[in-house]
Amino acid sequence: MARAIPRLIARGDLLAALDRAAARKVTILSAPAGSGKTSLLRAWADRPGQPHRLAVMQVQRDQHDAQQFWLALLDAVRNASATAGRAEPPAATPDFNAPAMVDRVLSELADARGGITLVIDDLHELNSPEALAQLTRLLTNLPPHVHAVLTTRHDLGLRLHQLRLAGELAEIRGADLRFSERETRELFDASGIALSEAGAALLHQRTEGWAAGLRLAAISLAGHADPERFVAEFSGSDRTVAEYLIAEMLERQPADVQDLLLRTSLLDRVNGELADLLTGRPGSERILLELADANAFVAPLDPERTWFRYHHLFGDLLRLELRRALPGDVPGLHRRAAGWFTLQGQLVEAIRHTQAAGDWPEAARLLADYSFSLTLDGQAQTMQALLRAFPPGAAQPELALVRAGGDLVQGRLDEAAAHLAVAETYAETAPPDRQRRLRVAIASLKLSLARRRGHLAGVIEQVRFLASPVTGQSNEDIALGSDLRAVALMNLGIAEEWSLGLPDAERHLQEGAALAREIGRPYLEVGCLAQLAFASKIRPHATIQRRCREAIALAERHGWGMEPVIAPALMTLAVTMAWLGDFDDCERWLRRSERALQTDTGSDIRLLLHQAAGILHVGRGRHHEALEEFSAAEHLGSQLEGSHALASGVTGLMLATQARAGMPGEARAALAALDDERASSGEIRNACAVICLAEGDPAAAVAAVADVLDGTAPVIVYVTVVEAHLLAGLAHRELGDHRAASQAAERALALAESDRLVLPFAMTGSRELLEAVPRHETAHAALLAGILDVLHGSFPAATEQSSLPPTEELSPGELRVLRYLPTNLSRPEIAGELSVSVNTIGTHLRSIYAKLHVRDRSSAVQRARELRLLAAGRTR
Amino acid sequence: MIRINGHLGATLLSAFPALASRLQGAETVLTGLLDRSALYGVLAEVEALGLDLLEVRQLTPQRRSPELGDSRSP
Repeated sequence: MARAIPRLIARGDLLAALDRAAARKVTILSAPAGSGKTSLLRAWADRPGQPHRLAVMQVQRDQHDAQQFWLALLDAVRNASATAGRAEPPAATPDFNAPAMVDRVLSELADARGGITLVIDDLHELNSPEALAQLTRLLTNLPPHVHAVLTTRHDLGLRLHQLRLAGELAEIRGADLRFSERETRELFDASGIALSEAGAALLHQRTEGWAAGLRLAAISLAGHADPERFVAEFSGSDRTVAEYLIAEMLERQPADVQDLLLRTSLLDRVNGELADLLTGRPGSERILLELADANAFVAPLDPERTWFRYHHLFGDLLRLELRRALPGDVPGLHRRAAGWFTLQGQLVEAIRHTQAAGDWPEAARLLADYSFSLTLDGQAQTMQALLRAFPPGAAQPELALVRAGGDLVQGRLDEAAAHLAVAETYAETAPPDRQRRLRVAIASLKLSLARRRGHLAGVIEQVRFLASPVTGQSNEDIALGSDLRAVALMNLGIAEEWSLGLPDAERHLQEGAALAREIGRPYLEVGCLAQLAFASKIRPHATIQRRCREAIALAERHGWGMEPVIAPALMTLAVTMAWLGDFDDCERWLRRSERALQTDTGSDIRLLLHQAAGILHVGRGRHHEALEEFSAAEHLGSQLEGSHALASGVTGLMLATQARAGMPGEARAALAALDDERASSGEIRNACAVICLAEGDPAAAVAAVADVLDGTAPVIVYVTVVEAHLLAGLAHRELGDHRAASQAAERALALAESDRLVLPFAMTGSRELLEAVPRHETAHAALLAGILDVLHGSFPAATEQSSLPPTEELSPGELRVLRYLPTNLSRPEIAGELSVSVNTIGTHLRSIYAKLHVRDRSSAVQRARELRLLAAGRTR
Repeated sequence: MIRINGHLGATLLSAFPALASRLQGAETVLTGLLDRSALYGVLAEVEALGLDLLEVRQLTPQRRSPELGDSRSP
């Protein structure tokens, strides 16, 4: 704080009470307006020798937006724990994940060293039951070195009984905060007011020790010619303390100060420029600074003392007085404030003041125009609160657009469509200068709607409209245009993913990410990169992994590592780990994807989540669990409009799993119901082969995969071909043709080598097929050994690295040799495989043994397994 | 009926445009027809202005509802 706030006295008893309370987890100061809660906290915080660092946040007036509340809290915690430099400042997202946010705040608090006191002032202003419920969770789970102090005007619906029972809740209430007679005298002494003992007692009695009353009295008494007479008149009056004193206080101010206080009372915060505008006079900044120095009711909001706010009670009383004294001026003042905030780009405040001025059509126009940027800025809940402030009778057609946006965020697609239809009808009759803007906003919402519904043709159509160039744009239109273009590219990329135009999808998502970075929309950049990771399935697994990890790292830098926006990358990484046979890692990423998606109910993204979970079960041989996941995915797929190429993947997995789970009849029936185009895809051909094998007809299985093997059946990813070779191998084995079986297995291994794939072998149950491959005939002995490791289940659960003696990292050359150790190839044979000399192998082996602290080949293999160095999929 | 400690002047009364007021001793009595949400609005205003609320009571007992029925004192 730049300067000590004057006219505050050290209330020793109360400070001691707060100190005692701070020994518990949570302290609640619950007392009426003007009781001196904030002043007490400030005095406690500024006291020399305060052992704790403070994270202070002030809840904004009438805060409906849970996300804004949590962001402010996170910001306060970060500033206090001095971790702010480590990451980007917290930013809002259009799809907010509240539980993840609580975890984030808790982990920031846990990371902070030393004691921290979290202060939440004016908690009664928080008008979001959701945020209160999450706050309860935060308060009951505070780390040991953290204490929280809450101030509120009334008791809140926080369920803190656990803390209360544990004796961890302290309360300071209204009666405790009343000034004693002695404190009353100290207050006047500190303000330099000469008042007799009896006068002070009378004043104390009249105000009942109410802090705001005493402070108001102190302002009026400062420099008063006859303080005793003031007190006598005051105690002789029957008027309420607040009204009497505010009138006295105002009357004693010079005319320009009075005028400024009244006219700026309708602002939540004020600076000199804004006050000049509302009073129509220059010099307001000086007045505000003087008021802040002399008066506990005007508080600076920043260290530079440019913004100020009035104490709520004080401001409310002034506002009533303004309405009474200058009723005709009020709408005009709101209008001027709205104009100023619009110019500053502070749209939410601008819209609030336009509403307060009663200019409903203009307020609706502003809200509709900026609904798109406000949504991207993560202000969805604030927008809903603004919407509710419109009078129910006066239907503004433009608001349909805003309502549609809100519906979309929450996945109410039918309602969104209905509201969009209303907005479209209105746009046709709108004045020409408004039409383009409205149409653009409508198109962007229709684009999101079409995408979420899986209506791909609709997506392409809207993108075409949005991409059409416009002339005569203002700067604002250009900014809006860039936002829209980035969103359009993202949605287009996603649509292309689903129709398997993967190279196009990659291109558009890369363009979208680049544009988002350029225009400073990190949220959109993360969104595009997460989808890009998902669209990379045709790339080598190393590329997929790199893209996933890059997207996740960027998301984490912004604190969105658990938000729905990053889920596509999390899921893709999970599935990649499954392909590589690292099922434990897969499960970890999958759990994280589930957490990130807990607030998103969209069919499209949940379909992918079920599919990924099913794949993990398949890898672990749990066919029935896998079947449940795939059925759920299929059900969600049926809710999407139109058919989706991506969906054949799910259908193929579903049918094959049914057959493997002993239900070939059901699988056969479902297969018969598919249309020809679907049935001829590689994924479905493979499923057909699995069904044939389960039915005991290996010859039909060989026939089923023939099209996949000769490349005539379209496949989503090359893994499908690996699988087809294995199915063919299994069928040949059944037919007694062991040579053909081994050849098929060898082809599968050859294809799987570069990515070191494991899952297709696990999924098809190819263990015996692989074991029958003569070791000296395969060119892929190391991969073969790694796969068999996983299939035997000898792949150990991840051992805590720290519990093992540290090992020096193996070189890439050593790792290559290491992977041959579980095979029964001799040194010269390994040398042959790797095209190096036997001497080189010997050198590598000695080095490996030394680094792993072992003496021989078999203990090296065991140690390498413990360290997971043999995991087939380990590419790092 | 809402009873508040002290006399409310024109400024404070303007916060309760829907209610009639009369003075009773050192207190102000506000009366009016309020549904449940209007009542909570008035109570929030009383709280925001730091007024000393003494009593809230329903005057017409024939349509009794639990929210309006109980009388409280601070």
